[in-house]
Amino acid sequence: MEAPLCELRGVSQSFTQPNGAPLPVLQGIDLQVRPAEVVCLLGPSGCGKSTLLRILAGLIRPTTGEVLYHGRPLTGLNPGVAIVFQSFALYPWMTVAQNIQVVLQAAGLPRAEVATRAAQAIRTVGLDGFEEAYPRELSGGMKQRVGMARAFSLHPEMLFMDEPFSQVDALTAESLRAEVLDLWASRRSQSSSILMVSHDIKEVVYMADRIVVLGAHPGVVRTVVENTLPRPRDYRSPELLRMVDRLHDIITGHELPDVASPTALAGPEMEPLPTVSTSEIVGLLEYLDARGGCEDVFRMATDTGRDFGKAIGVVKAAEMLELVDTPKRAVALSGTGARFLASDVAGRKALWREQLLQLGLFRQLRAVLEQQPRHELRREQVLELVILRLPFEDYERTFDTLVRWGRFGDLFAYDEERELLSLQ
Amino acid sequence: MRRPRVFWGESNASLEEERRFGVVDMLVVAGLAGALFGGLRAAHEWTGALRPTVDIDLSPRALPAYAFLSMSRGLIAYVFSLGFTLVYGYWAAKDALAERVLLPLLDILQSIPVLGFMPGLVLALVAAFPGSNVGLELAAVLMIFTGQAWNMTFSYYHSLRTVPADQREAATVYRFGRWERLKWVELPFATIGLVWNSMMSMAGGWFFLMINEAFVLGDRDFRLPGLGSYMSVAVARGDVPAMVWAVFAMATMIVFLDQVLWRPVVVWAQKFRVEEGGQAEAMRSWFLDLLRRSRLLALLGAAVGRSRAHAPPRRHPPHVQPTSPGGGRRTRWPSLLLFGLLLLGLLVGTWRLVLVMRGVTLAQWGTTLGLALVTLGRVLLATVLGTLWTVPAGLAIGLSPRASRLLQPVVQVVASFPAPMLFPVVVAGLSFAGVGLGWGSVLLMLLGTQWYILFNVVAGATAIPADLREMARGYRIEGWARMRSLYLPSIFPYLVTGWITAAGGAWNASIVSELVTFRGRVLSAPGLGAQISEAAARADFPLLAVSVVVMSTVVVTFNRLVWKRLHGLAETRFSLSR
Repeated sequence: MEAPLCELRGVSQSFTQPNGAPLPVLQGIDLQVRPAEVVCLLGPSGCGKSTLLRILAGLIRPTTGEVLYHGRPLTGLNPGVAIVFQSFALYPWMTVAQNIQVVLQAAGLPRAEVATRAAQAIRTVGLDGFEEAYPRELSGGMKQRVGMARAFSLHPEMLFMDEPFSQVDALTAESLRAEVLDLWASRRSQSSSILMVSHDIKEVVYMADRIVVLGAHPGVVRTVVENTLPRPRDYRSPELLRMVDRLHDIITGHELPDVASPTALAGPEMEPLPTVSTSEIVGLLEYLDARGGCEDVFRMATDTGRDFGKAIGVVKAAEMLELVDTPKRAVALSGTGARFLASDVAGRKALWREQLLQLGLFRQLRAVLEQQPRHELRREQVLELVILRLPFEDYERTFDTLVRWGRFGDLFAYDEERELLSLQ
Repeated sequence: MRRPRVFWGESNASLEEERRFGVVDMLVVAGLAGALFGGLRAAHEWTGALRPTVDIDLSPRALPAYAFLSMSRGLIAYVFSLGFTLVYGYWAAKDALAERVLLPLLDILQSIPVLGFMPGLVLALVAAFPGSNVGLELAAVLMIFTGQAWNMTFSYYHSLRTVPADQREAATVYRFGRWERLKWVELPFATIGLVWNSMMSMAGGWFFLMINEAFVLGDRDFRLPGLGSYMSVAVARGDVPAMVWAVFAMATMIVFLDQVLWRPVVVWAQKFRVEEGGQAEAMRSWFLDLLRRSRLLALLGAAVGRSRAHAPPRRHPPHVQPTSPGGGRRTRWPSLLLFGLLLLGLLVGTWRLVLVMRGVTLAQWGTTLGLALVTLGRVLLATVLGTLWTVPAGLAIGLSPRASRLLQPVVQVVASFPAPMLFPVVVAGLSFAGVGLGWGSVLLMLLGTQWYILFNVVAGATAIPADLREMARGYRIEGWARMRSLYLPSIFPYLVTGWITAAGGAWNASIVSELVTFRGRVLSAPGLGAQISEAAARADFPLLAVSVVVMSTVVVTFNRLVWKRLHGLAETRFSLSR
């Protein structure tokens, strides 16, 4: 095996929360980018994949662990990297040509070469004729072409792409993926590599040689899948679809354990609340009901137009409340869930309340509220309780979810102005 | 997908065609020659022998020269303000340590009325240039500067701190150095805010023109040739035709600057817009169009471009450090040194201020505080009165695209007119109606500061989302109910900004509105502003220092206690973008 271009060894990263407690984002990551390969980081939202990319690029220094570039510790920016950003990151006051030229100028190239290289890059991505246009005149797809031209113009050793196609419409994204691979193939002799971050399984299987599957809270490498499908690949080929299925199973195997035991939640340990709104949960139940009470979880994600991580969050939340079951990759309406759907508004609220009180966090919060003389708690008091019980969670988000769910079940009332939570 | 610039080539060709030497170029040459001549005239004035008091010629024929001198003072002061803004704002934004001192300091500087700076500036500069006019002229310029600089600096600092994260990251990944980052990312991002604040600042600079050009310091009477002193003399002598001429000249100068300087700059700045979407309103400037048709300027521009193209490229890309997880604005040692000097300067300044104030009795402190409360009352009353008429008017203008297109430029020009020049008329009206200056000064304050509220209400009204307005119409929410449920909440954040600016302006205006000279009589109303004016005129520096310190303290405290909170409320509860 050839020596890697750059490498992470035992990298962990945590950010400091406003209350001073560390929030771990990545834990014990080992990762290599080898010459002439396409590596994709795949994972649900919140698994720290963008942070990982920024650590490799030298934009962020990890809390612990080593970052190596050609076997040497990396200090400062990674010299071999150009990044294509999710939000394009073009300067709105510069024309297409200027946006590319400034980068070449900053790299210290002579004027004449700046001009020729920029023109060449613009041609490569098919934007001839748009040199003098401003970014606001371009569609999302064309903007990302400029972002790609900017990165290519530097002939980088490694091209980093941070969810590059998630803000581009589906058809354009498909053609851009093919173009990136074409360009990459034409320069393969120069051992340039691509590192891409994505949450779209199909995209990843289409592009990658190696797929690094990440898990969330905190981000860890779950597994690495080698993808040896021959290129050029076809989205509809049975091999590719099988690969997609396999990845689905890997992710669900981790994210939705078959033997979920909600009764265990009643103990002193508490399950973190997924940041999901009540209407999303009700929406999921209605969706399942319309499909005979059971559906494949990936089908569901595609149908609802949600990214996969978000869809999983909703299923998890519904499962915590025992409104659905998750046999293998399917999601099925539970008996309680069916009863919930059949009830009227008051009935739904009562049932919801009942299910909430199965959860330790809500039960305990109610107990504390009942002890208060006016059955009220200030927001900070509740936050403290949350921090104590769920030290690794984003407590403010947990609080918001707590209030939303509680309000829906008429369990709590919350006064935003005075920041007071009270028993209903 | 929109096809951009289909007719680009054609329009370009027609542009080229128009670029022949012609009338436009002759006008450009004439303009340059005029500016050169004027510059020489001003330089002559500056380097002439020291004449603390110039005899002001009240004939209208003398006015163009006076107006030119005043305008050049304003423009030089603006250049100082811009330079100060770029350095001070950059330092505060880039150095987390210095920021903690620089920002509160800016808050304090903003609250000091011009008369608080005057004695120090005048005495020091006249002493520094004995025998020539430079010192006195520089003092006048710096007094105008104190009316211009602060809000520009705040705007620039704020822009630097809010450059979008992805644009900052792209600059880092593609290795922009400090200078390139400033030139390509930060300055362009800050331009629009800076341009609008420059216009406001220029207007603010004219406000005290009469004081800046003609003032009394103890037994010394200073007067510089200019529009402000012309007006002062005309008022002192009760020469009504001269007053009218001065007002006319001032208005002409403001319209001239608006058309020849600010309009073109605003139109040019449109290219730095960040928001997406089509042109909301295409702004035009006839003067900029004219310049773009000049062949001479095109040739000059091309020459500059060529010489730049031959500049050598940068050899070594800079070494860029990654940010530590905490977010990385680090203080380096040269900056630490500067910071040390700043602290030292502040300490020395405070110590000397304490020395000056030593002789002031406790009773005087007490009276001053009492007077401050009286003035606070006037300031608040002026703000309330201003709100009462500007909210309906601003809504009417802002909600109708036609009205805002037609009226906004007019209002802008009217608002730049220095209100103190109109005071004689208002005071005459007040004394005719039998209203004393105690209440009348509220009206005078209002005259200067109502515009800030109006501007902000107009801006807020134009920003109300169409769907919310349609909702109110569709559900027949009308009259007062619509006001309460839609208009007032949605303009509230803008209103707060307007209040803060207007109240700040009213505090500053108190020094000219609580003490007015009219037909040789001095009218005054009890208040901190009047006390400051009197103390400056008597050269009673201890009392002046105490008054300024008290005013500054009251203003800053009130900002912290009231305006900041309202601002917070506006951002959390009434923001439309959250």
